Amino acid sequence: MSGAFRRAGLVLGLPVVLFVVWWFASYDSKDFYRPPLHKILEAFRDTWFGERMVQDVLPSLIRLGIGYAAALAVGVTLGVAIGSARWLRALLEPVLEFLRAIPPPVLVPIVILLAGIEDRMKVIVIVSGAVWPVLLNTVEGVRAVDEVLADTCRSYRIRGLARLRHLVLRSASPQIMTGARQALAIAIILMVISEMFAANNGLGFLVVQFQRSFQVTEMWSGVLLLGLIGVALSLAFRFVDRRVLRWYYGLRAVERQPK
Amino acid sequence: MSQPVRAGRVGQVPALLGAAGLVAVAVALELAPRLGLVPAEFMPPTSTILAELARQLQRPEFWVALRDTLVTWGIGLGIAVAAGTVAGVVIGTVPGLRAATSSTIEFLRPIPSVALIPLAVLLYGARIQSTLMLVIYASFWQMLVQVLHGVVDVDPVARDTARSYRLGLFARIRYLVWPTALPYVVTGVRLAATVALILTITGELIIGTPGLGKEIAVASESNAVPPMYALVLVTGLLGVTANLAFRAAERRVLAWHPAIRVEAAAAL
Amino acid sequence: MLAVRGLRKVYEGHGRRVEAIGDLTFTVGAGEFACVVGPSGCGKTTLLRCVAGLLPPTAGQIEVDGRPVSGPPRGLALVFQEYGRSLFPWLRVRDNVELPLRSARVPRGRRRDLVSEALASVGLGDVHHAYPWQLSGGMQQRVAIARAVAYQPRVLLMDEPFAAVDAQTRADLEDLIRSVWQRFGVTLLFVTHDIDEAVYLGQRVIMLSAAPTHVAEDLPIDLPVERDQLTTRADARFTELRGHVYAQIQAAKRAEPSEV
Repeated sequence: MSGAFRRAGLVLGLPVVLFVVWWFASYDSKDFYRPPLHKILEAFRDTWFGERMVQDVLPSLIRLGIGYAAALAVGVTLGVAIGSARWLRALLEPVLEFLRAIPPPVLVPIVILLAGIEDRMKVIVIVSGAVWPVLLNTVEGVRAVDEVLADTCRSYRIRGLARLRHLVLRSASPQIMTGARQALAIAIILMVISEMFAANNGLGFLVVQFQRSFQVTEMWSGVLLLGLIGVALSLAFRFVDRRVLRWYYGLRAVERQPK
Repeated sequence: MSQPVRAGRVGQVPALLGAAGLVAVAVALELAPRLGLVPAEFMPPTSTILAELARQLQRPEFWVALRDTLVTWGIGLGIAVAAGTVAGVVIGTVPGLRAATSSTIEFLRPIPSVALIPLAVLLYGARIQSTLMLVIYASFWQMLVQVLHGVVDVDPVARDTARSYRLGLFARIRYLVWPTALPYVVTGVRLAATVALILTITGELIIGTPGLGKEIAVASESNAVPPMYALVLVTGLLGVTANLAFRAAERRVLAWHPAIRVEAAAAL
Repeated sequence: MLAVRGLRKVYEGHGRRVEAIGDLTFTVGAGEFACVVGPSGCGKTTLLRCVAGLLPPTAGQIEVDGRPVSGPPRGLALVFQEYGRSLFPWLRVRDNVELPLRSARVPRGRRRDLVSEALASVGLGDVHHAYPWQLSGGMQQRVAIARAVAYQPRVLLMDEPFAAVDAQTRADLEDLIRSVWQRFGVTLLFVTHDIDEAVYLGQRVIMLSAAPTHVAEDLPIDLPVERDQLTTRADARFTELRGHVYAQIQAAKRAEPSEV
């Protein structure tokens, strides 16, 4: 019983302390730029629940979801195709490395040029930035399939789609998940930026509006919301990651033990 | 993503193919607008972009912008690396600190740095401090995670030996922790540098801090399409160069380092 | 069941030409247990890979069950030395054994029976739900054998399968493979570098020469069918056969024909 308390104490301890310190240190703050924490929380409650949730927050998240899913689909598909053919990989490697090195936000003006400023643009922006880690990591994962395992599949005549499903994708899954994690961070950044740069609705747009019209408390609450979304998505990803790669973490744990 | 070292003669074919790939893409992007497959005013042919790039290289404003970007990037990266290393070593070595701070780190780390943009603008306007705020915040976590992995990776037998000889905290850090953590530190710098560049350009693009990002935003607003593409090309080259340079430095440092380590898959 | 005629394999690359196998000819009858031994580098693994259809021969012909081999043939299973790498780490033991059957479209009920029987026959009836990496090396190799057995192959190839386990486990696995062979009546081609193991297990020992490899001698093993680690290995005839094989291999290493 005390073990559980101790663990809870460690997990909650510092965050609670920091929260309390922030609360009391800012309680009477008259600083225009740093309003009291309790006012921020009030603004949080008033601003984001209700109409804004449906009109702005939800569309942003939906665009994020679609963009991310598309990036995963395109990235994995192309990654498998490129990773399976050595000549293709060699051919495309410098091109892909260059495209990946372009800072994703810089693609926003380009995509706006090609796709306007509607929803379509925002989704394309997310895909154009988030696809690279997925693609490149998939290529790497597919390339590194164990030879003995591949020979085993050949000798048991496991070919085509079955081979792709049971051997290639599962073998590459740890690497693909790494790419997916990086892609999620990029997708969130691009979702926010595409709305800050050119938009008429959405979470990023609203936060920038608050800042421009000096609605400071609301702006802080928006920053808080963005932070919470980032944390929530990260936790959700961790959850999925731990289930999909349960075998992988178990394997690594066994390997690390001294024999 | 690590690349295997390729043996001399065998490596020539992939290199040739790679170069061929680049050329093929450049040719494709040259022909597509010319043949009308893509509207030329939205995506100019490669030759136009390259000509514009040459023109940009002759403008003093370009070099000022490039310098501004490099300065912001350098300062932000430097502060983040220093802070991340110190924090990582302290948290990793002082007993109990790691467990106590773990949840806080895992909570703060995934907060997207772009969430800080409005805050930065409010506090610092378009000055360099606002972009630095973004850069340092994001790069710090990259560095911290790597250094923590390095500090934790210390061989338990070596650690017990040091303890049995009653080495003080500073001695332990110097002889035990630092050599083990060094590869991770180097990897951390590389990852942090990549993130720092992205956020530098982002800050310049969105907030308007002087630099290449701001030039791109200006070009975008005034619909100067070829300059915009040329500048994007430059940022890509900057990223590739930095990546290659840091990987080379990493290989150099690790060439003599005997420890075998696995690059921790850290989130951006 | 298995016929190898004039097999030749030459490796070319990096400006060098290596004739791994010169001219191999032998047959293995249905249900026979044949062991292949030879000096290091004599192409034993190359031979198995050619028979398994994983490697195209430079010349010669291989027939499995009367049909020429041009790719992995039906009804053939291969057990590798690196058991850890040949099992799927993301599948539990049961699913590992079942996978080739799923791929061969065996109906689910039948699959389940085959898997259970195979795992029971290798003594792993109670680890169905474990992951391979949770098991010891010997148990992992048993899983690989169970997978091969469940597949109901007509020909079973084994490439130095017990080389990477400790001596005690190896003894257990040797007895296991003999019992599996007797129970399922499969044709077994067993490659090993361990002379004692070859004589203990096989009905025949095919001895290979050094590269370019050919069959140096094909020796029938007239030990009793029921064999036992303790008594058989102490048997006078075992020692005789073993000595003969050893001498032949030594001669092969020196590339001299020995007295037959």
